[in-house]
Amino acid sequence: MNETLEKRHMGLKASARISNTIIYIVLILMAVVWLIPFICIVLQSFRVESTWQVGYVIPQKWGWDNYVALWNSDFKRWYLNTFVIALCVAALQTVIVLCMSYTLSRFRFKLRDGLMRFMLILGMFPGMLTMIILYRVLKDLGLTQANAVPGLILVYIASSGMGYYVSKGFFDTIPKSLDEAARVDGATRAQVLYKIILPLAKPIVIYTILTAFMGPWGDFVFAKYVSFGTSAGMNVAVGMYGWLQLDQIGQKYTMFCAGGVIVAIPVTILFMCLQKYYVEGVTGGAVKG
Amino acid sequence: MKQYSDLEYLRLSKSQKFLYKLASFFTAIPRAIGNFFLAIGRFFKNAGLGVGKELADIFLTFKDGDWKTKTSYLVMGFGSIARGQVLRGLMFLLMEVVFIFYMVTAGGHWMSMLPSLGKIGPHEEYNEILDAYTMVYGDNSFKILLYGVLTMFFIVAFLYTWRLNVKQNQLAEEYLKSGRRLKTGADDLRSLVDEQFYKTLLALPLTGILVFTVMPIVFMILVAFTNYDGTHDGYNNALFGWQGLSNFRTLLTWSGSGVNYSATFGEILTWTLIWAFFATFTNYFLGMFVAMMINKKGIKLKKLWRTVLVMTIAIPQFISLLYVSKMFAKNGIVNGLLLDLGWIKQAIDFWGSTAHNGLLPRVMVIVINIWIGIPYLMLIATGILMNIPADLYESSRIDGANAWQQYTKITLPYMLFITGPYLLTSFTSNMNNFNVIYLLTGGAPTNAAASGAAGSVGYTDLLITWLFKITTGAEAQYYLASVVGIMVFVVVAVISLVVYNVLPSIKNEEDFQ
Amino acid sequence: MKKALSLIMVLAMIFALCVSGTAYADSQLAGTYDITVWVADAIVDLTKQQIDDFNATNTDGIVFNAKVEAVGEGDAATQMITDVEAGGDIFCFAQDQFARLVQAGALAKLGVKAAETVRANNDAGVVAAATVGEDLYAYPLTSDNGYFMYYDKSVIPEEDIDSLEKIIADCEAAGKYFSMENETSAWYIASWFFGTGCVSEWETDSDGSFISIHDTFNSPEGLIAAKGMKKLLDSKYYLSSSDAAGFDSGCAVVVTGTWAYETVAGILGDNLGAADLPSFEVDGKEYHMGSFNGCKLMGVKPQTDAVRAAALHKLAQYLTSEEGQMERFNAVKWGPANLADQANEAVQANVALAALLEQNQHSLPQGQIHGSWWDIAKVIGTDVKEAKDEAGLQKALDNYTAAISAVFNMSDADKNAWSVIGSICGTNWDTDFAMTEGDAGVFQSEVLELKAGEELKCRQGKSWDVNFPADNVVVEADGSYIVQLTVDGDSGVVELIAQ
Repeated sequence: MNETLEKRHMGLKASARISNTIIYIVLILMAVVWLIPFICIVLQSFRVESTWQVGYVIPQKWGWDNYVALWNSDFKRWYLNTFVIALCVAALQTVIVLCMSYTLSRFRFKLRDGLMRFMLILGMFPGMLTMIILYRVLKDLGLTQANAVPGLILVYIASSGMGYYVSKGFFDTIPKSLDEAARVDGATRAQVLYKIILPLAKPIVIYTILTAFMGPWGDFVFAKYVSFGTSAGMNVAVGMYGWLQLDQIGQKYTMFCAGGVIVAIPVTILFMCLQKYYVEGVTGGAVKG
Repeated sequence: MKQYSDLEYLRLSKSQKFLYKLASFFTAIPRAIGNFFLAIGRFFKNAGLGVGKELADIFLTFKDGDWKTKTSYLVMGFGSIARGQVLRGLMFLLMEVVFIFYMVTAGGHWMSMLPSLGKIGPHEEYNEILDAYTMVYGDNSFKILLYGVLTMFFIVAFLYTWRLNVKQNQLAEEYLKSGRRLKTGADDLRSLVDEQFYKTLLALPLTGILVFTVMPIVFMILVAFTNYDGTHDGYNNALFGWQGLSNFRTLLTWSGSGVNYSATFGEILTWTLIWAFFATFTNYFLGMFVAMMINKKGIKLKKLWRTVLVMTIAIPQFISLLYVSKMFAKNGIVNGLLLDLGWIKQAIDFWGSTAHNGLLPRVMVIVINIWIGIPYLMLIATGILMNIPADLYESSRIDGANAWQQYTKITLPYMLFITGPYLLTSFTSNMNNFNVIYLLTGGAPTNAAASGAAGSVGYTDLLITWLFKITTGAEAQYYLASVVGIMVFVVVAVISLVVYNVLPSIKNEEDFQ
Repeated sequence: MKKALSLIMVLAMIFALCVSGTAYADSQLAGTYDITVWVADAIVDLTKQQIDDFNATNTDGIVFNAKVEAVGEGDAATQMITDVEAGGDIFCFAQDQFARLVQAGALAKLGVKAAETVRANNDAGVVAAATVGEDLYAYPLTSDNGYFMYYDKSVIPEEDIDSLEKIIADCEAAGKYFSMENETSAWYIASWFFGTGCVSEWETDSDGSFISIHDTFNSPEGLIAAKGMKKLLDSKYYLSSSDAAGFDSGCAVVVTGTWAYETVAGILGDNLGAADLPSFEVDGKEYHMGSFNGCKLMGVKPQTDAVRAAALHKLAQYLTSEEGQMERFNAVKWGPANLADQANEAVQANVALAALLEQNQHSLPQGQIHGSWWDIAKVIGTDVKEAKDEAGLQKALDNYTAAISAVFNMSDADKNAWSVIGSICGTNWDTDFAMTEGDAGVFQSEVLELKAGEELKCRQGKSWDVNFPADNVVVEADGSYIVQLTVDGDSGVVELIAQ
């Protein structure tokens, strides 16, 4: 009796060991697949023997030339532009999204359901269509080309209220009884928000800031529309995309890789540090929709 | 289909239950579609009734009102000021002044031009002394349409404000008659941070949405009824004008000889739906699977695995995707490696193969999308899996359930229930997933069967990238893009509404709180 | 040192302005202009220098305060069309964008005298490329926008470079790629067709709208071209790309243009070879591959102020003058369009330009081609690749013709012509059989072998706008028939006449 139990126990252990080993193998393979492109980009950025695409990965000659070339190009300007845009969008978009989602989570007013349905429907229109008209509006406001930075900030934040789903989901998980208790104690709605809800909503606030900050780094379709023909108004994506065009790729390809590394560093570091909140925010919110 | 009562349902065997559920899902679909159209009908009926009621109300208020109220019909806010609600009154008055000023200086002009979208086109003049040609520009159709739409928004907003103003007078009279105190300006301000705090919070976001989303969409819908394109840009070369429904006809029917837009549209739509389906569900299940592997008891370095995967989120897609697309080129690193290893004899044309309607490139974009998408799903699934009460697993284990049974009985239903709405939104956003397709293939390889339709259509083109090609293509056919955009909207809306009405977990919003 | 020099120059200019102020007063153009100039990244610095020189040397007292931006030639046209008002005052673009730009109202016509100067000094092909109707709309920037073949001398022996078959064999033997962008670019695809004598000619009216096409791609010669192309496309070592960096990842031949010279030289060094395209052999006959010879142009954006317009045209003229083009050749090796420059020894000694000149003997000037043509014709590449046999190749050409006639107006004769279409003779409603008019209103087809149960219809202008009869004609018995259509006003009767 005892013996069989022992055996069964050992069998379980062995099978667990086997399955764990398989999982480790799968995870290691995945890690390799996921990391290869990034490792390649990093390696290419240190290649100095040539500036075009090549069929091998490990540079024959290593050096900082591409980074020096970046420093001497307009890249600095693009980087600064993007950074400014990302900071402003992170701040303003967070305020707007939180206003919107908190309201829709906590208040019950006449047009609430209609409003939510209306925004759902709006979201089904392909945004690409409105690019040309947004461009014209910005142009009439004088916010294109060299002034593209404030223009882009304006457009990014203006419609950000539509992306309230995730944080509304998060607010929905904070018990309403907390609000009511505070209201009984005589707090106004505004005070409830500042004093009770916001401190509890730290993960979602950080999640919103993080996603808002990351967005502008990758946008190049609309940003190109707004800043065309003016290097001073470009963001990194638009500027660097130009390096991959036929007339430049032969000279700028390794610079593109170096630029990619520089762009990825702050976003990656930020993401690594705040990953915990990101997970809390996204699981608290996204699932509810 | 036979409807079971609760009691009957409980008596059914497991497989019967499953079949019943499946059947009720599908029988619900026609009803959902029907409900959708009924809802539209109801909306118009209610709107019609509502307008009639409002008009009667306005008339009665005027008839029964005192002179302060009557004056307010012309001078907005007069009644409020006269009754001591100075702040409110002044706001109304200010609105009226601004509106009249705008209509006189600009709005009237734009509205009057709207029916024609401009009369005078540009022309050229030659200056002999300077040996130079100059342009003399005329009307600007684009601006007329843009400001015309804006003016219509203003007019609607003004009418609403005016109605509010009348209503205020009516209410104020009632209040005074019944001897209650009217709210002062200070009361109004206080309520904006308390009972009506939502108005304060929503003011800014909604204004932004109105100006930068609603207005452009209305504008683009109108463009679908014009001939706005690269050679009729409304100012620099020629004016554009109203075309009625002819653009829709072009897209939906045979248009003259050879070009078949409806077939092209159908073909792209089919692929868009296939793509959205696979992109959504491969990510969903594989992401969940990866999360389960990492979360499994006894697996070490959990944080490391997660961090590695999450890097794809942190690095901008235009860098990672462009690089990956180069990796899989015919003379790229992947082919080079496979050739060196001797696994293949001939380089694989990952992006250019047109065999079986471009099957290989299509599979490739889906596979690489998995690479992009798994990390997000992994994060979401991690959080949800941790929330599943551990005793559920414990008790099922005691009942002798194996891992697979635990998965199908506990994990999957739990995940599906909670992430239902998420699946829907990610399906629709995958339909409009521009970045992955544009950066990886740019729509390639070219689809020979769909040649001649605006922009050259490729096998991996989604509706959204086709739309982009139409606007930036040789002829910049904005009007056609607009029509396609509207069709995309219709497709997405129908799918969403059907699923929305069938899914159980969305409706009961309050359940979660 | 440089700074000091420019300081002195500025001082000298100010001095000159003060002293000779009266002399400049004659010119209406004197003044300072803020302008934007769009040029390719490679010549940004050079162009800045050239504008400074212009400011210092012009006798009209024009001073340009110019912002020179790097905008690729492909992008420039798209962005000009998106928003002409915000576009560069002076901008460069490749010839294939010319027609779009004129139609979009993004190019200012050259003055009469300016046009004369340009016509007199530049090569005729380039002038034609910048002309619509009688008028010039742009200044010639280069005349080197054609393609030829770069090859790796260590893989392809010199004696093989005239034969496509030998080159392919060399590539396959060495396991190296032959790279030519046949699957995504009509520009390169045209090479095969021009080689067998096919043409695609386009005529525009004074607005830049297309009024007629003469296109012979779908012909016996076209089929020969498709066969030649198929040979290359079927090779294991064929790559559809025009990226010169391919030499660093397994290519032995890349068909591309002069702009790639530095990249190729950087990779191949002494092994760099450049030559005209080879000949291909079909049915025992040799055909030398053709090409487009095109150019890059410089345009001035339409202006509302005549003085500003005149000043801008002066600058554009200066930048594209004999000296201006030569400076560009010296700096970035762009081949000049100016006749005097082309005769220059240094220009003739350039390997890439020499290959291009050699190829130019087999090239056609790239006329005004409609923007849509590029999208339509590039499909030939994928179609030919998929084709299994000669019928497949023919189908590729038929698809092309169908797409062209769908987009462009056909000639009146074509529009009125009747044809038979149906599930007949092994086709499936995708092939038109021509009909000829005998008596007025009576049209007859050739003798067709029809089978029982097959269905057909007659249609006009290869479109379904007008077709007879309302329901398909169903063939009742196998046999040879002539299909006869009798049209009377709005009605038509279709009969099958057994032979």
